[in-house]
Amino acid sequence: MKTDRSRQTRAIVVALAAGALVLTGCSGSGGDTTDKSAKRKDAARQQEPVKYADEAASTGPAAPVAGAEEGGVITGYMQSDFSHLDPGQIYVSDANQLGNLIHRGLTNFHSDKDGNLSIVGDIATDSGQSSDGGKTWTFKIKKGVKDEDGNVITSKDVRHSIERTYAKFIFDGPNYVQTWLSGDDYRKALPDGPYKGKHLPDSVLETPDDSTVVFHFKQARPDLPQALAMPGYSIVPEKQDTKEKYDKAPAALGPYKISEFKPGKSMTLVRNTNWDPKTDSVRHQYVDGYNFPLTVSIPSQTKRLLADQGEAKNALQFIDMVDTAQMSSVVTDKKAYARTVRGYQPYVWQMCFNLDSSEMKDKKIRDAITYAIPSASMVQADGGKYGGEVAGGLLAPTLPGFDPSYDPFGKVKKPAGDLEKAKQLLKEAGVKEGTKLTYAYSNTPRGQKQMVIVTDVLKKLGFDPQAKEIDRATFYEQIGKLDNPFDLYMTGWGQDWPSPSTVITPVYDGDLVGDGSPNYSHINDETVNKGIDEATALEPEAAAKKWEEIHHRIVEEINPCAPVYYSKTIQLYGSRIGGARYNMEASNIDINDVFIKNP
Amino acid sequence: MTTLTKTEGAGSAPTGSDPFLSVRDLYVRFSTEDGTVKAVDGLSFDLERGRTLGIVGESGSGKSVTNLTVLGLHNPKTTQIAGEIVLDGQELIGARERTLETLRGNKMAMIFQDPLTALSPYYTVGRQIAEPYRKHRGVSRREAHLRAVEMLAKVGIPQPKLRVNDYPHQFSGGMRQRAMIAMALACDPDLLIADEPTTALDVTVQAQILDLLKDLQQEFGSAIVFITHDLGVISTMADDLLVMYAGRAVERGSVGEVLRSPQHPYTWGLLSSMPRLGSDVDKALTPIPGSPPSLLNPPSGCPFHPRCAFPEQVGGGRCATERPALPEGRGAACHLTAEQQRTVFIDQIKPRLG
Amino acid sequence: MLPFLIRRLSGAVVIMFLIGAFTFFLFYSIPQDFAELACGKNCSPQNIAVIRENLGLDQPIAAQFRDFMMGIVAGRDFPQGHCPAPCLGVSFASGDMVWDSIIDRFPLTLSLTLGGLVVFLVVGLGAGLIAAWKRGTAVDKALSGASIVLSSFQIYLLGPIVLGLLVYSTGLMENPKYVSPFDSPGGWFLGMLIPWVVMATIFTAQYTRMSRSTMIEQLQEEHVRTARAKGMSRGYVFFRYAWRGSLIPIVTIIGIDLSSLLSGAVVTEFTFDLAGLGRLAVESSVNKDIPLTMGVMMFGAFFILMLNIIVDLAYAFIDPRVRLS
Repeated sequence: MKTDRSRQTRAIVVALAAGALVLTGCSGSGGDTTDKSAKRKDAARQQEPVKYADEAASTGPAAPVAGAEEGGVITGYMQSDFSHLDPGQIYVSDANQLGNLIHRGLTNFHSDKDGNLSIVGDIATDSGQSSDGGKTWTFKIKKGVKDEDGNVITSKDVRHSIERTYAKFIFDGPNYVQTWLSGDDYRKALPDGPYKGKHLPDSVLETPDDSTVVFHFKQARPDLPQALAMPGYSIVPEKQDTKEKYDKAPAALGPYKISEFKPGKSMTLVRNTNWDPKTDSVRHQYVDGYNFPLTVSIPSQTKRLLADQGEAKNALQFIDMVDTAQMSSVVTDKKAYARTVRGYQPYVWQMCFNLDSSEMKDKKIRDAITYAIPSASMVQADGGKYGGEVAGGLLAPTLPGFDPSYDPFGKVKKPAGDLEKAKQLLKEAGVKEGTKLTYAYSNTPRGQKQMVIVTDVLKKLGFDPQAKEIDRATFYEQIGKLDNPFDLYMTGWGQDWPSPSTVITPVYDGDLVGDGSPNYSHINDETVNKGIDEATALEPEAAAKKWEEIHHRIVEEINPCAPVYYSKTIQLYGSRIGGARYNMEASNIDINDVFIKNP
Repeated sequence: MTTLTKTEGAGSAPTGSDPFLSVRDLYVRFSTEDGTVKAVDGLSFDLERGRTLGIVGESGSGKSVTNLTVLGLHNPKTTQIAGEIVLDGQELIGARERTLETLRGNKMAMIFQDPLTALSPYYTVGRQIAEPYRKHRGVSRREAHLRAVEMLAKVGIPQPKLRVNDYPHQFSGGMRQRAMIAMALACDPDLLIADEPTTALDVTVQAQILDLLKDLQQEFGSAIVFITHDLGVISTMADDLLVMYAGRAVERGSVGEVLRSPQHPYTWGLLSSMPRLGSDVDKALTPIPGSPPSLLNPPSGCPFHPRCAFPEQVGGGRCATERPALPEGRGAACHLTAEQQRTVFIDQIKPRLG
Repeated sequence: MLPFLIRRLSGAVVIMFLIGAFTFFLFYSIPQDFAELACGKNCSPQNIAVIRENLGLDQPIAAQFRDFMMGIVAGRDFPQGHCPAPCLGVSFASGDMVWDSIIDRFPLTLSLTLGGLVVFLVVGLGAGLIAAWKRGTAVDKALSGASIVLSSFQIYLLGPIVLGLLVYSTGLMENPKYVSPFDSPGGWFLGMLIPWVVMATIFTAQYTRMSRSTMIEQLQEEHVRTARAKGMSRGYVFFRYAWRGSLIPIVTIIGIDLSSLLSGAVVTEFTFDLAGLGRLAVESSVNKDIPLTMGVMMFGAFFILMLNIIVDLAYAFIDPRVRLS
């Protein structure tokens, strides 16, 4: 799972900077009548499964961006520190964005000018060659790939990068590849990582020569090229690895390297002269460097970029969204609106039912609540139409196979909720008036606003809702406990790469139910479980149909989580930023293509 | 400072030519939130060099205000003053602040009631004594320091060279008052105003301080205004006496005259309420009935009439309507005839005094 | 004076130890699994166990306390490297040495505090003195009125207004930022100017009102009247006598304000997007980063203790009655 860290932390700073609201003084949606927010058609681009590109498409240099100029320094506003710099620890969006600038992996996502996604080889010559029915994957490493100190990157460095994620100090990053290679208890396969001279056996991870890496899996892993494109699997050169300390001072392979990092305050990137554009088909090195002030609150970011004065002309919102309080100023000001990128984020906000709770066992009750939830109000509580859009299903518009017409509960048609139908179902289920339901919510402003909406609708349905506030820092840990005492809770979900496998598997696979598992509803349906196993082994194109089938079964036959809304974002950038566009995979402004006009 | 037009013609000038300090028809009024306080209401008196004028009266009778006015230490923004104050031929009312500064501590000095609060806790006794000397004589720091030592010795502080560097809180109450006197006398002032200088001290120290003041007066030849509410103290100190009530002088004369044959019922009251050595211990003291009048709204006629036992002897309600004038020289501001005054004092008051 | 200092300093050491012990047990007695807090997305029981081990939370509390206190005195070793004394541990969230994080943030906090202090003392006390000198006049009324209006302002209100005027709409100045005065004195000054002025404005009002009222009070003291009766000029009496007496309450308030500012000016830092100790404290507490929270707290406690001693020394310097008793 990829949690939306930026949105969680946003709440804190907004609360502290509340005084700033006095000046802007108006709420999220203004008086504009035309819906300027991102449309479904943007998402539809990605209904095609991700293409695995060949060697030609993986060879640098990257196609130039129209009108791009060299030079200048871009300021990327951030409201708090980067969560991690060590690739092994990188999972969330802030570090992903930065990872695109400083790290490189075996593979990478490439988003063409129309937004079509493909997987290309990054330091590998192509997106990987599979054999043995997808159980074996071979990668060749490009010549001329070096780290920032000029050390040539070899297959040993790739092996090292994978093996170090088995060590205990790596715990925050993704663990797909490790579990695929060594099983769920993968740390036992290499308890100290590669640091005490031990390595994974060649039967698992093989480096026959300096430029070849071979992965051996027990079952077909067609998604491997996409998993390896996550910054979490970027290369950590063996020579440069400083273990725990690496998280503060990683060695760059990408076009930029860190010249100064003051944790919690600022980071400065400069050109990495050892990055060779001929080895990279995705990244550019247009600007001389980046400057990240790590203390600029979201209202401040918005205000500065709206004003477009001085340094703000060369600045952009690196991962954050326009301040909801200033949204109307942004979307009604034509000049400012022209300086925004907008698009879907991969998160689907859903009301998950604890299937182990006796009150939630009856599907009719779950359906009733699903019908009743006023999705439109829930969207309004999270930034309005620029922050979200009513959801019909549990797969986001950013996933291949997304079907905008899929709306089994009529949520899109009746975004205010269908109380009639809900009451009817509750009657059929024979639910007693005043049945207690415990709703757990995170103590973020969004969580608190949504709590009011949820308890209100539950009351209307004749329940006696008990709202239980949980500290935002441990919200997911609390609801992730198998024997949690709650009946229902809102969770946000995001894909790790554009495949339903990274959503349906972790969230709805009954085999993975357990403490700390993101299967918050505890759904355990044999048909679904079996379907997941089948789909996982299929090539992306073939898998898409299967995933759709599973998705429909989950939503219609079981309904463990009611779809509520898809999250969206809108980001501002300064008037001298060129090449700005939304990158759906990064769910942020595309950081590879930006440049400074007239530097 | 604003000048108040004269409203009443009460109080006439005593005889005597060219007095050193001459106060004429002095009116002092404070504006407060509650109204105008008539703190001094047409006061006149004279003082010769080398003489001591005692001023007695209850608190709030205007004694201290009069003397602060002489020094010009009132708040000019809230105080209205009329009349004249002439010191050695120089008019003080309306004088420039700068002129007053050269006179204060130099030609005229003041000793305050409570030496603990009247001395600054932040500076040494020596510095506080030396300050006016330096300022008025323009001498060096060192000379001023020596003067401070000299003055401390003069007022009887033992080891003055050491004690000159002490802070006031290191002095005893009596020593502090001596230091205050030393400070007041540092520039040989011609006029010394002592505002209840012994009230805060115990009786033995009180006597020492009074002796000291008398000795110093002989040495320096200063004129002293001695303010007190204690008639016992005044009898040993003063040559002349002024009894004040509600901002006015009600009786005037030499100390002997006033104390031996007082004429004003208020003076009688003061004397009756004062314990005396050698008097019969069983004899009850007789406090003056009632309380001092409000100066915001003083009684009509004779301000003492609400507390006075004798208005019916005057008759015709004159006491409540007509303000009695203070005659020149020896006399009292009272409607009782001289004969009535003598009779009442001898028949009713004197026996009580024992 | 020296015995006083020794007594107070050794007392401060004991108090610091007690604060350390108290906060340690207070925080660690919270029934909350810090591994859960530090845990991101793969929050499986196995991963939580790994994190617990990484953070040293698998050790008994007594051992953790011993390590913590020994670290302060003698330093200790972490996988991230050696942490020299005074070692306040390692942040759960970032893995940085707590002491380093604090020291890194401190120059900004110190700049903010001292710069603000200069502005609000000069302007605030100055205005208060003028008002007291001109008591009852139009000048006094204007200054007193202005101070009442300003004191009801808030940094988070005034800050955005000033930014709006000087930065967003006119572009006359850049957004405030901290540059080391050793790298660029001019940049430091310009970068901090808006925060100084805005922060100082709020404090200024307080100091204006206080210095005016204590001066007026002091001017009514009998010893001040005595000085006037000696013929000392109004200005001399005002500054030598009345001002000296006003210093004690003023120094007291300065001590309190300084110690709170040195522990971080939270509102100012967030208003101007600056990273000082205040932000560190808030972020650590939001992230439930206990070692960092404790570290910032103890650092603040240190300043409160030190400033207490300094204020007491100042009392002795100002008032001989304190010095000699």
